[in-house]
Amino acid sequence: MTQAKEKEKQHATKVGVYICHCGGNISDHVDVEAVRRRLEKVPGVAVARTNMFMCSDPGQELIAEDLKNGVVDRVVVASCAPSLHETTFRNAIRRAGANPYIYEHANIREQVSWVHHGAAATEKAATLVEAAAAKAGLLRPLTPIRVTAARHATVIGGGVAGLSAARDLADRGIPVTLVEKSPCLGGQLARLDRIAPTGERAPELVRALADAVLNHPHITVFTDAQVIATDGYIGNFKLTVRQEVASEAFTGTEACYIPFSGMRPAGPSPSEPREFNLETGAIVVATGFRSYEPRQGEYGFGDFASVITLPTLIRKMAEQDTEGSFLEIDGRRIRSVAMIHCVGSRQIPGIHPEDASGRLNEYCSRTCCTATLNAACRIRETHPGTRVYELYRDIRTYGRGQEELYEQAARDGVVFLRFEPDQAPEVVRADPTDGYPLKIRVTDTLTFSENLEVPADLVVLSTGMEPNDVSDLVEMMKLPVGVDRFLLEVHPKLRPVEMPVGGIFVAGTCQAPFDVGETCNAAGAAAVKAASLLAEGHVELDPFVAEVDAERCKGSGACVEACLNPGALALVEMQIGGQTVRRAQVTPALCLGCGACVAVCPENAIDVCGMTLSQYEAMVDAIVADQVAADALR
Amino acid sequence: MTVPSQAKGNKILVLATESCAYPGADSVGQAHSTYPTNVYILRVKAPVLFPERFYLDCFRKGIAGIIVMSCGEECPYDGAYHALARRLDRVYQAMKAQGMDIRRLRLTAICTVCNRAFLNEVNQMNELVQKPAAGEPGQENG
Repeated sequence: MTQAKEKEKQHATKVGVYICHCGGNISDHVDVEAVRRRLEKVPGVAVARTNMFMCSDPGQELIAEDLKNGVVDRVVVASCAPSLHETTFRNAIRRAGANPYIYEHANIREQVSWVHHGAAATEKAATLVEAAAAKAGLLRPLTPIRVTAARHATVIGGGVAGLSAARDLADRGIPVTLVEKSPCLGGQLARLDRIAPTGERAPELVRALADAVLNHPHITVFTDAQVIATDGYIGNFKLTVRQEVASEAFTGTEACYIPFSGMRPAGPSPSEPREFNLETGAIVVATGFRSYEPRQGEYGFGDFASVITLPTLIRKMAEQDTEGSFLEIDGRRIRSVAMIHCVGSRQIPGIHPEDASGRLNEYCSRTCCTATLNAACRIRETHPGTRVYELYRDIRTYGRGQEELYEQAARDGVVFLRFEPDQAPEVVRADPTDGYPLKIRVTDTLTFSENLEVPADLVVLSTGMEPNDVSDLVEMMKLPVGVDRFLLEVHPKLRPVEMPVGGIFVAGTCQAPFDVGETCNAAGAAAVKAASLLAEGHVELDPFVAEVDAERCKGSGACVEACLNPGALALVEMQIGGQTVRRAQVTPALCLGCGACVAVCPENAIDVCGMTLSQYEAMVDAIVADQVAADALR
Repeated sequence: MTVPSQAKGNKILVLATESCAYPGADSVGQAHSTYPTNVYILRVKAPVLFPERFYLDCFRKGIAGIIVMSCGEECPYDGAYHALARRLDRVYQAMKAQGMDIRRLRLTAICTVCNRAFLNEVNQMNELVQKPAAGEPGQENG
């Protein structure tokens, strides 16, 4: 479209501008009446109104009435951040019988009245509303993309997140296939004993969940299986699953629980590897975590047999399950155990060495403080003769009932020593005369940096969480990964279980370190999101996707090359003017709407609906309009 | 069209990603932290949408400085950040060729709670665009 035509179109529309006082939040700093008067004079603006609360029923009614009466056919609301009320106003427009995509939002609270004051605030607010009106003049009605959706979900991962999500989905009537890489269900939860802070038995939780899943008529479980290929899009994914021959033959006719492995579904498993396809509407990725493996020599790990990790301690204690004055590990009486926190977590550049791939785990694993304190309390409770030392940087017992565990540990006689990250404790062999195999040298900041030596029969490293390596899924499904290597949701607060690829959800510790409760919360949220997506048999998607102007397109293919989601754009043969030509074509359900194609088209023949380049240019023009006018007067 | 080497005004355009930097700017507002009024924030899905000429046109129209506030390595569109970085390299080359101060265009990553980083970026750019000599030839490597 030529510039003149764009201008013509812009001014042919009737933009309604609705400016909110926000009860004084805006109008205390922005003269909203002055903004209204200025906007009234802008070409293309049919009406400008103000209201104390535009989001209130009377405020929304103002907009609806103007639309119904034909006074306006485009809408700009100038109010708070769009994250709060953009949807509110789109819905108000829809209820008024108009297309919800004729709407543009001007953010004059968070980005004006809360950060600027006086005349300058009013000037900026007016300019931003003018820019929004300029864009609104170029908006056109759009139709949501409707795609049929297979009424089926696939859950990848059979840990607590995957089991919870599968059960919740199936309970809502959605058939589910659960694909688990290992031979057993239960994930890392099956490798625990008592769960902090309530003391529940992890095996019982796993059994209950796995039983519910294995006996559910809507759930099919494949263990020893992995997704090896994916194709398709929201509502219409095609997965290829490969199931291996079980490493250990299991022919039981009933599922059985194997301690510290998990629930083994009833056999038999296939006698040779097989591959099969799944057509599924939504995917929940619940691939979990692995415990950090200390490197050789880290706090003596690998050098001394008496240095073990917390998961190993938990297992050994559970397998022993005896009471006596002293804890016994591998037949040895443990008179003194030293537990070192933050191993493999909160690593600091320049202090902690990077791993072989050059990475550091700079995040807090969040659950290990409580897990360590839980183990310490258990030792003190069941083996009161064993002394427990906790060497920590900070204690982070967030969450209900967890701080109490810290207090209980202190009451139970656990001795706390605090170290600075650059003065990490040193685990060394003790002198033969010391009577202990190991000792830990530590500079304790709680005693004003006194250098102390802790004798130990056992050193336990409180290891953090690392996401499982799912690079194959990341590559296949185009999943975003954070710098911490955990999967990255669209927005941590507003869309916490959604991946940017429509129809793919994330649940549990593949996303971040979570405890069991948080994992189940995330799984429940992902299940509900997936179930509501599939409930109707079709899905409606925002139409903010690429659109090709076939008249302008010359078939250069630059957009196809730049496209970040393979399959979203393709050159196809079509008939134009009686000739067979190759032109770009968008598959809307696959398009991410990122606009990578827009920038590279030599013919300007592709744009993202609802956020076109010319709309952005019109906004910039409005922002610099006062400068242009001043220049003209010079 | 050649872009004037010196900006006409002092307006700063911020292209802020809807997933990260735009909510980040809202977070600055929620904290009531003030910053210069000549900062104008546009919400974008991914700044990879803008071709080289968009930036040069903005400067030609009178925008003094542009800050592209992306999601950085945490971009939800796999590959978009690197494509954007390569594109901005080409814009820098064009700016240099036209004698413009390349500090007037800045690529940065701002998260949803990066209040301090956001304020640093806009204040630094404001300092640059307020200087009378900003944008004059010879400043580009400063």
